[in-house]
Amino acid sequence: MFLCFALITLIGAVALTFQRNLVVAGLCLVLSFMGVAGLFLLLANPVAAALQIIVYSGAIVVLLLFVIMLLNEHQEEPAIRARPIQRWLSVLVTLVLTAGVARLVAGSGLLRRLSANPPPAAQNLGNLGNALFSDHLLAFEVVGLLLLAAMVGAVAIVKRDL
Amino acid sequence: MTTLISILSGGLQGYILVALLLFITGLATVLCRRSILVQFMGVELMLNAANVALVAFARFRGSDVQGTVFYLFIIAVAACEAAVGLALVVGLYRLRQSTDTDRADALKQ
Amino acid sequence: MQKVAWLIPILPLLGAAFHGLLGRRLGKGAVTAVALACLIVPLILAGFAFSAVLDAPGRRLDLPYFEWMAAGPMHVPFGLVFDSLSSVMALVVTGIGTLIHLYSVGYMWEEEGYARYFCYLNLFVFFMLLLVLGSSLPLLFVGWEGVGLCSYLLIGYYFDTEVAAAAGLKAFLFNRVGDLGMTMGMMALFASFGTLTVGEILTRAGQLSPEAGFGVLTFATLMMFVGATGKSAQIPLYLWLPDAMAGPTPVSALIHAATMVTAGIYLICRLSPLFLLTPITLTAVAWVGGSTALFAAAIGLFQRDIKKVLAYSTVSQLGYMFLGLGSAGFAAGFLHLFTHAWFKALLFLGAGSVIHGMHHQQDLFRMGGLRSKMPITFWTMLVATLCIMGFPGTSGFFSKDEILYLAFQKSPALYAMGLLGAACTAFYMWRLMALAFWGEPRDRHAFDHAQESPATMTAPLVILAIGALLAGLLGLPRIWGGSFAIEGWLEPALTFGRSGLVVPNPEHGSAALAWSLMALSTTVALAAGFLGWNVYRRGTAAEEAFSSRFPVLYRVLSNKFYVDEAVEALILGPARWGGHFLWKAFDVVIIDGIGVNLPGAFTRVGGDLAAQAQTGRVRNYALGMAIGAVLLLWIFLK
Repeated sequence: MFLCFALITLIGAVALTFQRNLVVAGLCLVLSFMGVAGLFLLLANPVAAALQIIVYSGAIVVLLLFVIMLLNEHQEEPAIRARPIQRWLSVLVTLVLTAGVARLVAGSGLLRRLSANPPPAAQNLGNLGNALFSDHLLAFEVVGLLLLAAMVGAVAIVKRDL
Repeated sequence: MTTLISILSGGLQGYILVALLLFITGLATVLCRRSILVQFMGVELMLNAANVALVAFARFRGSDVQGTVFYLFIIAVAACEAAVGLALVVGLYRLRQSTDTDRADALKQ
Repeated sequence: MQKVAWLIPILPLLGAAFHGLLGRRLGKGAVTAVALACLIVPLILAGFAFSAVLDAPGRRLDLPYFEWMAAGPMHVPFGLVFDSLSSVMALVVTGIGTLIHLYSVGYMWEEEGYARYFCYLNLFVFFMLLLVLGSSLPLLFVGWEGVGLCSYLLIGYYFDTEVAAAAGLKAFLFNRVGDLGMTMGMMALFASFGTLTVGEILTRAGQLSPEAGFGVLTFATLMMFVGATGKSAQIPLYLWLPDAMAGPTPVSALIHAATMVTAGIYLICRLSPLFLLTPITLTAVAWVGGSTALFAAAIGLFQRDIKKVLAYSTVSQLGYMFLGLGSAGFAAGFLHLFTHAWFKALLFLGAGSVIHGMHHQQDLFRMGGLRSKMPITFWTMLVATLCIMGFPGTSGFFSKDEILYLAFQKSPALYAMGLLGAACTAFYMWRLMALAFWGEPRDRHAFDHAQESPATMTAPLVILAIGALLAGLLGLPRIWGGSFAIEGWLEPALTFGRSGLVVPNPEHGSAALAWSLMALSTTVALAAGFLGWNVYRRGTAAEEAFSSRFPVLYRVLSNKFYVDEAVEALILGPARWGGHFLWKAFDVVIIDGIGVNLPGAFTRVGGDLAAQAQTGRVRNYALGMAIGAVLLLWIFLK
C-alpha cells in the first residue's frame, strides 16, 4: 500500500519536472497531491487527507489552472540564450542531495526507533476542532486575518484601475 | 537492509524518504524550469513534502493533534501564497508579455 | 650678570617677532625705533658683560640656565658663556650690527618690505648671538642653522626676482652641505668625549696625552672644518657668496662680511685645543685657506660689478683667516676677523652708498669721477682700501702681516700664495677705487644726478672708518715694540682646559725674518696697488686692451674659472637627469603602476568578474541558495 501511494506521488512529481505542456503539468501536480492524500490515509489521518484533497488539489491547483488558462501560454518559450551551467549545476545538486538523503535516512537511529511505535487511533475532526478553538485560538484567528489580507492583496495587485 | 524491510512494511523511514525525495524533485523543478507557473508548482511540491514529513512524525510520535493543527496552518499559508503569487504572475505577464523568468532580469549588473 | 645676560640674545628675537607680527600695521617709524632699540640695548649689555669678563676668574663667565635636552647619557644644557673670545664677538655683532641697522634705515626707507627686512635682520642677530654665546655645541648649531636661514631669507629679500630667489636657495643648499659636516663632527665629538658642552669637551681633551691615537678626533675636527668651509665660503663651498650679492647691500655688509661668514673661524677658535691635537686637520685648514685666498683674489681682478669684487674679496680674506688659524696662529686669525669686520663692512656700506647715489647702478664700467660728488663716501672707502691692502700702520696691515709671518713658518709655499693674493688684493681694490672715483664719468646722465648719501648712511661710514684705523692697536707686533695684545687677551679662551699641555708658540722665527717678510709684503702690496690705480684712473681702455692680448686668461678669470659651469655640468646635470629617470622609470611605472594602479585594477577586474553572478534571474539565485544549503548540510552532517 505504502509503496503504491509513494510511487504515485513521486511519479507525479518527476513527471511535473519534465513536462513541457503547462496544463498537463498541472494535472501531474494533482496526481501527486492525490498520492500524498493516500499517504495521509495510511498515516491514520483522514482529516489531513480530506483537507489535502479539498484545499490543495481542489482549490490551489484550480486557481493555478485558472491562471494558466488566463495567460493562455501552454508551452514554455525557448530560452533567449542557452546557458547550460544552470542545468548542469542543478543536476549535480540534485544528485548530491539524493545521495545524501538516502544515506541520512538509512543511517538515522532515531527513525529506526520511532518506526517501532504502533499505529495510534485515527485523527478525527472533533479533536482537531477542539484543539483549534482552545489551545491554538490565537494562531487560528491570525491565520484568518492572513487570509483576509491575502485576498485583499491579490485583488489590489491585479486591478487595472480603481 | 533493515531499513528496506521497515520501508516496505510502512515504517517511518519510508515516509521520510518520500518527503525528502519529493522536496528534491520540487527543488529541481524550480531550478530547471523557466516558466514561472511551473516553478510555482515546484514550490507547492516542496510544501507538500514538508506536510508529509510533518504528518508522518505526528503519527509515529503518539498521534498528537498538534501535528494536524500545524498542517492546517501550513495549508492556509500556502493558499495565501498561491493567491498573492498568482496575482503577481498576472502582473508580470502584463508587463513583459511573457512568463519566462529568464526575461525578468532587470536587476542584473 | 646672569640675570640679565639672557636679554642679549632675546631682545633681537622679540624685535623680530614685533616686526613680523605688527610691523606692517604700525608703520616705519615704530619699526625703526624697535629695531634700533633691540640692537642698542644688547650692545650696552654686551659692554657690561665685557667688563664683567675682565674681572672674572680665568676671564670666563659660565652662565647655565636650564637643562635643555636629556636623553640617556647625553645632557645638553642651555647656557651662555662669556669668555674673552665670545664677549669680543658679541660686541662685534651688536656693535657693527647697530651701525648697519642705522645705515639700513636710510638705504631701505623706500622699500615695500621695510618691516620684513628688519624682522629678518633682528632675527639674524638673535641667531648669531646664540651661535657666539652658546655654551654647548647643539646651541651653537641652532645659531649656526638659524643664521643660514636668515641668510637665505635676506638674500632672497627681493623674492620676486629670479636672481635673488635662486641665490638664496644656492646659499642655503651650500650651507646645508657644510652643516652635514658639522653634524658629523658633533657626533664624533660626542662619541669621543661623551658630552656636547664645549667647556667639558675642552677639559676632557686637555687630559688626553699627546701620544694618544687621534683617529676619531681627527675625523671630528675635519668634519667641523667642512662645516666651517660651508659657512665661511672656502673652497669648494664658496660658490654661494658671490651670488649672495643679490640681496640688499647692508645685508651683504653684515652677514657676508662681518658676522655670519666669520662663524667658521669662530668655531675653530673655540675648539682650538682640539685642532691643536690634530695637526693633519690644521694643515688642511691652512692649505685650503691659502689656496682660497689666492684663487678668489684672482677672480676678483676683473669683475665688473662692484659688489662682486667685494664678494670675492671677502672669500679671499676669509681664506687668509683660515690660513692664520691653520698655521696655529689662532689669535692672528681672530685679529684679522676683527679688523676685517670693520673695513669690509665699511667697504660694503660704501659701495652701497655709491650704488644708492648712482641710482642702483652697480657696473664699475659705468661709473667714474665720483670723488667730487660723494666726498665722505670716497674718503671712508679710501681708509678701508688702505686697510685691506695692508698699508703700513693700518689695522689690516698688522693682522695680515702676522698671518703671513706664521704662514711662512708653516711652509714657504703658503707664504707665496698669501703674498700673491695680497698683490691681487691691492690691485683689484685700487682698480675699484680708480674706476669709481677717478677719471671721466662714463655714464654722464647718472653722474649728473649723483649726490652724497644722507646722514643716516654716512655717519656709520665715518664711525667704521675710525674703528678700522684703530682696530690695529690690538695687534701691534712685538717687533715694533708692541705686545700683540690680542694674543694675551685671548689666551684664557684658547687654552681652556689645556692645563697639561704646553701652549706651542707659533712664533719661533727671528726678528730679522719678521722684518724682511714685512718689508717684502708691504713693497709688493704698494706696487700692485699703485699699478692698479695708475692703469685704471684713466678709464677702462687698458682692460679692454689686456683682454684682447690675453683673451683666454682674461676670459677664465672674469668668468670665475668657470667653476659654476663645471658644477652645473658635473653635479647638477647628472642629478637632474637621475631625478628625471627615477621619476619616469621608477615613480611612474613601478610605484604608480604596480603599487597603486595594480591593486585598483585587481579590484575593478575582480569586481567585474564577481558581478557576473548577478544575473537578475531568480533561478540562478535559487541555485546559489541550493548549493549553499547543500554545503551547509554537508558540514553539519559530517
